[in-house]
Amino acid sequence: MARDHIAARGSPGIDMPLLLAVMAIITLGLVNLYSATSVYADDAQRAQLADIYVSQIYWIVVGTLLAILVASIDYRSFDRLALVSYLGGLVALGLVFVLARNIRGASRWIAIGSFNFQPSEFMKIVLILVIARYLHNDPKVEPRTLIDFALPALLVGVPAAFVMAQPDLGTALIYLLTAGSMLAMTRIRRRSLLTLIAMLGVSIPLAWNFLLLRYQRDRITSFLNPENDNTGAGWHAFQAQTAIGNGQLFGEGFMQGTQNQFRLLPDQFSDFPFAVFCEDWGLSGAVVLLGLYCFAVIWAIHVASQAKDRFGAALAIGVGANLFWHVILNVGMAVGVLPVVGVTLPLFSYGGSSVVTMMVGLGILMNVSMRR
Amino acid sequence: MRLFVQRSDVGEFRRRYRWMVLFVLAAFTVLVGRLVLLQVIEGDVHRAQARRNIVREGFLATTRGVIRDSLGRVLAANRPAYNVYVTPARLDMETAWPLLVRLAHLEDAERATVEQKIRERRNLDPKDRRRQQQILVKVDIDRDAVAYLETHERELDGVEVAPSPVRYYPYGSLGAHVIGTMREVNREELAWLGDRGYRAGDRTGAIGIERRWESYLRGQRGMRKIVRGAGRRVDPAQIEAKYLEEPRRVEPIPGRDISLTLDIELIESMERAMHGQLAGAAVAVDVRTGRLVALISKPSFDPNVVSGGQGIKAVSDAYTRLYADPLKPTLDKTISAAYPPGSTYKPFTALAGLIDGLVDPHAEIDCHGGFEYGKRYFRCTGVHRHVNLHSAIVQSCNTYFYELGSRISIDRLASIGLDFGFGVKTGIGVNPEARGRMPTRGWYTRRYKEAFRGGFTVLSAIGQGATTVTVLQLALAYAALANGGTVYQPQVVRSIETSDGTVVQEFPPRVKRIVDLNQTQLSLLKNAMQGVITDKHGTGYGGRIPGVDLAGKTGTAQVSHVTPRSVDPNREWYFNRDHAWFAGYSPAASPEIAIVVLIEHGGGGGKNAVPVAMRVIRDWQKMKEDRLAARAPGAGTKGNL
Repeated sequence: MARDHIAARGSPGIDMPLLLAVMAIITLGLVNLYSATSVYADDAQRAQLADIYVSQIYWIVVGTLLAILVASIDYRSFDRLALVSYLGGLVALGLVFVLARNIRGASRWIAIGSFNFQPSEFMKIVLILVIARYLHNDPKVEPRTLIDFALPALLVGVPAAFVMAQPDLGTALIYLLTAGSMLAMTRIRRRSLLTLIAMLGVSIPLAWNFLLLRYQRDRITSFLNPENDNTGAGWHAFQAQTAIGNGQLFGEGFMQGTQNQFRLLPDQFSDFPFAVFCEDWGLSGAVVLLGLYCFAVIWAIHVASQAKDRFGAALAIGVGANLFWHVILNVGMAVGVLPVVGVTLPLFSYGGSSVVTMMVGLGILMNVSMRR
Repeated sequence: MRLFVQRSDVGEFRRRYRWMVLFVLAAFTVLVGRLVLLQVIEGDVHRAQARRNIVREGFLATTRGVIRDSLGRVLAANRPAYNVYVTPARLDMETAWPLLVRLAHLEDAERATVEQKIRERRNLDPKDRRRQQQILVKVDIDRDAVAYLETHERELDGVEVAPSPVRYYPYGSLGAHVIGTMREVNREELAWLGDRGYRAGDRTGAIGIERRWESYLRGQRGMRKIVRGAGRRVDPAQIEAKYLEEPRRVEPIPGRDISLTLDIELIESMERAMHGQLAGAAVAVDVRTGRLVALISKPSFDPNVVSGGQGIKAVSDAYTRLYADPLKPTLDKTISAAYPPGSTYKPFTALAGLIDGLVDPHAEIDCHGGFEYGKRYFRCTGVHRHVNLHSAIVQSCNTYFYELGSRISIDRLASIGLDFGFGVKTGIGVNPEARGRMPTRGWYTRRYKEAFRGGFTVLSAIGQGATTVTVLQLALAYAALANGGTVYQPQVVRSIETSDGTVVQEFPPRVKRIVDLNQTQLSLLKNAMQGVITDKHGTGYGGRIPGVDLAGKTGTAQVSHVTPRSVDPNREWYFNRDHAWFAGYSPAASPEIAIVVLIEHGGGGGKNAVPVAMRVIRDWQKMKEDRLAARAPGAGTKGNL
């Protein structure tokens, strides 16, 4: 049916600009991961880290296959999958607390066989689907009130609460920001908007006191007062900024960044791959990379604007927003304009769940693009 | 139907797209702006920080100059002690630190203090330079630990072993006061000495030559940079070539060597001669140059211990002991303390009388055991009957000098003293110098606020009263008497050399002043001073040694009976005893060396001080003969002097 439809509308088929941009990001990401983890090659205890770029390639292959699968089924049929997968996702998030392996104080993973599975990552896609479905089924001409947002707020709030409890502030933020960006497409009554802002203002101190854990609060205070803290979060951020600055205009060269090579960068293959990239390639490399991300996000908005229905438009915006917020939070953290929160850099950070999720999201975007 | 409805609904979203694009562009612009700030505007700062993170500067120790005596014998040299330092910012507290604690055998208390300090530093701002400042962990670790630390240097990042030469004094306590000692620079000094390259744990001269000539002896530390090692697969040499900025290595400059005018053998002889005496001082000076040949101050102490050769604890223990000692071992009694000269001052009184024509050297007075002046009666040491100037000096008759004192003004006594260098610092430069006192009428008026009394002059005439001198001043004054009136600037350093022996600077003798003396009058005094030893009524006759050619004057100086509170009452008798003096020169006919011996609370000068001087001069004569023999042609290869 889908194929018939494409044929009938005479669409151009594969969205080449999107494909090329994504391929470029993937390539840079792999090259950078190789550089970032090469430092472990002569470390007896952590030598296996030097080979994780190979498993990253596996995950990219898996992600690409899934993306092709996702892109080839007409996105309108996802409509029906949304609620089921949402409930499944909630169950999986709940299971995390029962089965999870505790990695560095946070339980995020479920071990299935030999590999670890991170339900909170897949929930990102599911949330995009659910919110898109909500927007699709609730067309309105007059401006919306806050009551209208009760349902989507609940849909985001429940999984966000789950991941906050893991605790994973970064993912919870991504949920809220992605969903918020999607809902921002609707027309809202001015009074409701003001009320919303007021509510946010009240909830920030409450969240500070009751929702955030101590280390999360420390990260934010150390971000606000970098002079006061130099051991924990502030130290990481400081080393990352030194690495980035050390890159200067053209970088130290591939695998030559000293902050990375001398292992002064913490979490260089998960939280701070951007610092490694900037140190190796300098401002010129960083501008190319950010340009690619920026292009992908704007292209997603472009796809949304061309979408033939609300569902497609919402999906495209959702995928774009998901990509955008990941990049902004991760890079913002690395360059020191945002506090340190654990958010991955799409297709740069090492992680199976993260890569596959991102690829599936891009598959959806491709899907919408192909069926406009 | 579905298609249609949806198409119209898309309209609700449409107006948002442009804003979204703008928002995205703005966000990325902020990021790029921040990157430009970090990488271009602040790029150099960050690159410098990145280099600091991987490069460390190690110091190359220099060697302190050696101090030698006039014949090239080493008085102060260096032996290596290995000190361990850590750089807080780079030390791995999980692996490297416990290993270091084990290797250095740190005790729990030590470990806790150092560890706390390291953690404090680590918690400082990353940009704070104190994170990079090394902390001294332990001094003088054993050789095995040194070997281990050096072979595992690249793993133990932030740990540095610096060999630091410990000062070594082969002759121990001999001449310790003048040669000097070392001490660690303290924190206050570091604040202003840091610019001159001093670091925590460094030693600096504490007293004596070591302190006075610190800047020459010290030398200059070298520096080398290395790239710290972690997670590298590349050849270190290649890495170093890439990351290390020139200069990568600065060689240390060794300190200057110093040759003294002292003769350690004669100092040893003085020590032997003073054996059995509790406290005192002796000075021997070359009358032809003003160069000091030997100086000792008793009791002494071991400079090796005080200078830290046996660890910090030994140093503090030693000082606790030294400062508690009522005999004041830390005081340099040759230079830093002034004593009443007693009868050793009489030749100067006599000289003033002769010059001013106040005495006829041949006129006799009658001594019946004292002198009545005003309402007071001043006692003599005995009943000398008929004495003239010669016999008054030989027998040290006080009555003769009281009589002279009653005729001379006190200011004249002071002025002849000043001519010979009393009452002012000699300017020798090592150790704090006591000035001594030549009281004048003005001084007494200021001091006592009542009418000046002639009795003061009478007392000053025999070197008592308010008159005080240092042992060094007295030796220089006797040297001037011996050489005919030339007052020399005292010297203890003869030359400064580089470590390879090239002489950098030499210090020729310097004449301070020539006192205009009538040689006939002077020879009168000299004859009398010879008589002190050779005449059988002479005060020094009892202590003579046949064959030892010595002339001079004895002295027995009364001490003020004010006992310091610190003194144990059971020992008070000792501290109330007179000081025994002898001041003289040898050979009597053509003097070469002047010698002054002070035995603190030693009793009579003739009985106690003369034998000491005798033995020293006997040794000196023998040394002189031996050296002449060795130098003479055909003497063989026995000595190289």
